[in-house]
Amino acid sequence: MDKMNHSSAEAEAETIEPLRYLSKEEAAAIETELLRDYRFGQQQLIEIWGQACATAITKAYPLATLAKKQPTVLVICGPDQNGSIGLVCARYLRMFEYEPTIYHPKRSSQSLHQDFTVQCEKMDIPFLSYLPTEVQLINDAYNLVIDAMLGPEADHGNIKEPYSGILVTLKQIKTPIVSVDVPSGWDVEEPSQDGISPDVLISLTAPKKCAMRFSGKHFLAGRFLPYDIQKKYELNLPDYPGTDCLIEL
Amino acid sequence: RSRSKEEAAAIETELLRDYRFGQQQLIEIWGQACATAITKAYPLATLAKKQPTVLVICGPDQNGSIGLEYEPTIYHPKRSSQSLHQDFTVQCEKMDIPFLSYLPTEVQLINDAYNLVIDAMLGPEADHGNIKEPYSGILVTLKQIKTPIVSVDVPSGWDVEEPSQDGISPDVLISLTAPKKCAMRFSGKHFLAGRFLPYDIQKKIRA
Repeated sequence: MDKMNHSSAEAEAETIEPLRYLSKEEAAAIETELLRDYRFGQQQLIEIWGQACATAITKAYPLATLAKKQPTVLVICGPDQNGSIGLVCARYLRMFEYEPTIYHPKRSSQSLHQDFTVQCEKMDIPFLSYLPTEVQLINDAYNLVIDAMLGPEADHGNIKEPYSGILVTLKQIKTPIVSVDVPSGWDVEEPSQDGISPDVLISLTAPKKCAMRFSGKHFLAGRFLPYDIQKKYELNLPDYPGTDCLIEL
Repeated sequence: RSRSKEEAAAIETELLRDYRFGQQQLIEIWGQACATAITKAYPLATLAKKQPTVLVICGPDQNGSIGLEYEPTIYHPKRSSQSLHQDFTVQCEKMDIPFLSYLPTEVQLINDAYNLVIDAMLGPEADHGNIKEPYSGILVTLKQIKTPIVSVDVPSGWDVEEPSQDGISPDVLISLTAPKKCAMRFSGKHFLAGRFLPYDIQKKIRA
């Protein structure tokens, strides 16, 4: 596929600048700018990201390719934004005819995040009251696990229950794991030595430093990002194909 | 089956109140769906003019915010006072999408400049019997242009429940959530955007 630099300032450039990987501060700064200067709403961004994640999952694991009789997917959602993205993703997976089950152990007190929970409940998406620690139960029940627990703002050095326990379980399951934005438990800036090993990573907006040598399938979802922000942070994002909201890196 | 004005409003109220969708969220979903429908109806490669120009005419309320999700030139004569709708305007301005300060009444200027006109002026909540300026004037112009018109949800100026005798004639209609009664015998290309609808509401609609 042709990759053309459209910006007139770079009309004479012959090389494509490499994709930039963000530090924790840069990722936070971009999001602040989107909310404050570009007047995107948090709800709007979460909806965009959640939909893009679900689309990425349908590309990485099309319905027809799932091994089990039922197209079951376990979506593990944390308390904050990463978790809400997982909730929106679960809703779209349901619409795309997957059978998501949500495990959302700690609910946020913010009504924004609670709203996303209600939307899922009203779609008749089941919520588990506990996660089996028996690894074989998870292997047997689910085709996929979506890790939407902890995002780039989380403190990887200080992971509390129940997430530390869930991560222990996730390291043992055979079911493929898809992580939203950053693999939960990873340092945003460093690939992890002993953290979970997702098969698929869906980076939101721009990839983070920890993903630089990610060896699994890596998607970028972030097509809505205004050009000015792309230029300001020199993101050098690749061209998204057609009307797709995501691209495989 | 298609919806009356009251049913359409009731569905939206339910989505906001019971299903806890946010208005911003719904507008984002609908706007994105409209843009996708437009790319299907008029793929970039098929546009006749050298530049893929599209004129998006946005009304002040929700229908206008949905129009703002698409592309290059926007004519948004009356801004809403609600910060929700203003936010969508800022997002477009920051994407360097030009905003026209006035709409040419010279029909040939529009025919020459734009491949498409997106009508996102008035939605189902508008009072079709009492259309004020500048929209009444814009509708007069739209009835004369040759450029294809794509209407968002309901063609502006139409009665939600009756096909119009003398209103604008869009080539494409993108119904949001469920089609409205006025679209029952719509003869142009008709898209439905509403895939996010919870099943319970879908069942009610089919009843």
